[in-house]
Amino acid sequence: MPAARWVDFVGQEIFHTFVAALVVEALVRLWRVREPQQRLALRLMVLGYSLLVLPAYFLLFPERAGEAFRDFRALFAAARWDEMGLLGVGLYRWWVGLFAAIGLLLFLMDLLPLLWGRRGGIPPESAALSPQAQAASAVLAELSAGMGVARPRLVFLAEGGPALFCAGARNPALVISRSAVDLLDRQELRAAVAHELAHLDRLDPSVSWVLMAGRAAMFFNPAFQVVARAMARDAEWRADERAAAGTGDRLALASGLLKLYRATAGRPPVPGRRNLPLAAALAEPLARARALDIEFRCRRLMQPAPAPVPFGALRLAATAASLSVLLFFVV
Amino acid sequence: MARSGIEIAKALVTLGLVLGATVVTLSGLDHLPAWLQGQPRGVRRLASIEEAERRLKARLFLPAYFPDTLRWPPSAVRYVGGDPSSVALLFDGSSGGLELVFAQTAGGSGPISPRVFPEASVLQRFPLAVGEGEGWLERVVGDDGAVWNEVTWLQRGERLALRGKGSVEQLIRMARSTRREGP
Repeated sequence: MPAARWVDFVGQEIFHTFVAALVVEALVRLWRVREPQQRLALRLMVLGYSLLVLPAYFLLFPERAGEAFRDFRALFAAARWDEMGLLGVGLYRWWVGLFAAIGLLLFLMDLLPLLWGRRGGIPPESAALSPQAQAASAVLAELSAGMGVARPRLVFLAEGGPALFCAGARNPALVISRSAVDLLDRQELRAAVAHELAHLDRLDPSVSWVLMAGRAAMFFNPAFQVVARAMARDAEWRADERAAAGTGDRLALASGLLKLYRATAGRPPVPGRRNLPLAAALAEPLARARALDIEFRCRRLMQPAPAPVPFGALRLAATAASLSVLLFFVV
Repeated sequence: MARSGIEIAKALVTLGLVLGATVVTLSGLDHLPAWLQGQPRGVRRLASIEEAERRLKARLFLPAYFPDTLRWPPSAVRYVGGDPSSVALLFDGSSGGLELVFAQTAGGSGPISPRVFPEASVLQRFPLAVGEGEGWLERVVGDDGAVWNEVTWLQRGERLALRGKGSVEQLIRMARSTRREGP
């Protein structure tokens, strides 16, 4: 494929994903879609469009690249902006370069800490059968049976700060530290463990790797990176809802979240944890974003479980079909 | 049942409104570069006759006779794609200001796109022998309100037009000297 065609492809990937993401975000708000699974489905449609539909358009409809299509059939032709230039380079190419750089930055912001955090892998299990470990094991056994989830390996950390998370795609494990068990009361511990079990039941650790692979393929696409991040947040909300339904105690989960947040804010990361703090320069805004995220999750948990909007599948299909048709005419 | 219908209708209306707003925004963004450059959408400003020939993958017709009252090279080369594509060369007079427009199709004898060669009101029309067949000599009122002389004809399957402010004789001589080098 010639260089100009690659620029065209990258430009359309960026612009199409941006338009699709804006349309979906507008619909999420206007339709008042609060149920996490429905939000995930709509956002997944944006990523699916970007990964599958647009490349298919390039392969199956080469005439979209022709001048006749651009001049007479296209609703929007980004290359028209190339007719205006800055420093001898068309505005379209400036635009593609700028957004590709932003996309790469967003991707690296998540990839580098992830790679850095995986150097140690999942921490080794402590052999000591302390009362805290026994309590965690008992809660895990009870909830696994109650929620119908295969019991994962329990990794108990006798040392270090509060930690409670799941990890591992092939060999899933639930990591709990002694200080987390000490910090949370029994109801909060149940809710927090149920949250992690919900992640494991949905294979979220594996899914997050697939999502990261998609992000790697679309490393230049800022809208793709942002939507993928939003999906990770939706996955948290979905696990919250499942945990709240599984334990029947929404407030305990909110309380546990707050306690863990307060205990871990500003602490160095636990090895193996995926959502590690990023670069030092970004620490403050990221800490603020994390605080807002926790606050938002707690607010959600203080309200009743959100009901799905009716005809979710129909809405999704109509949105996907209409966006695919609309974006066919955007070149 | 009726409630379901209303719910579906509301969802689809919302979807329609969001998509409508998207279409309007995209269309506006599409027209913006042309509007900023002060020319119709789809018209490309090319740097030179050579660039037009590269884009068309064909040589342009050019007059062998070129009066010294006009400036060479053209002050603007405008191109619009299509079937056929159209190209207009704009020539300024030696004292400045647009004096002559030479427009032609490429790839067919269809009409020259009005986006590069705006239509003009015809005041008078006479048949004229130019090129392979019969052409026309016309006096027209341009979009600037001035009266121009215009010669239109077919040559080797392409439609050509010269619209100028100079004398009729000069225009006819230019039309009759028009050639295309190469295929």
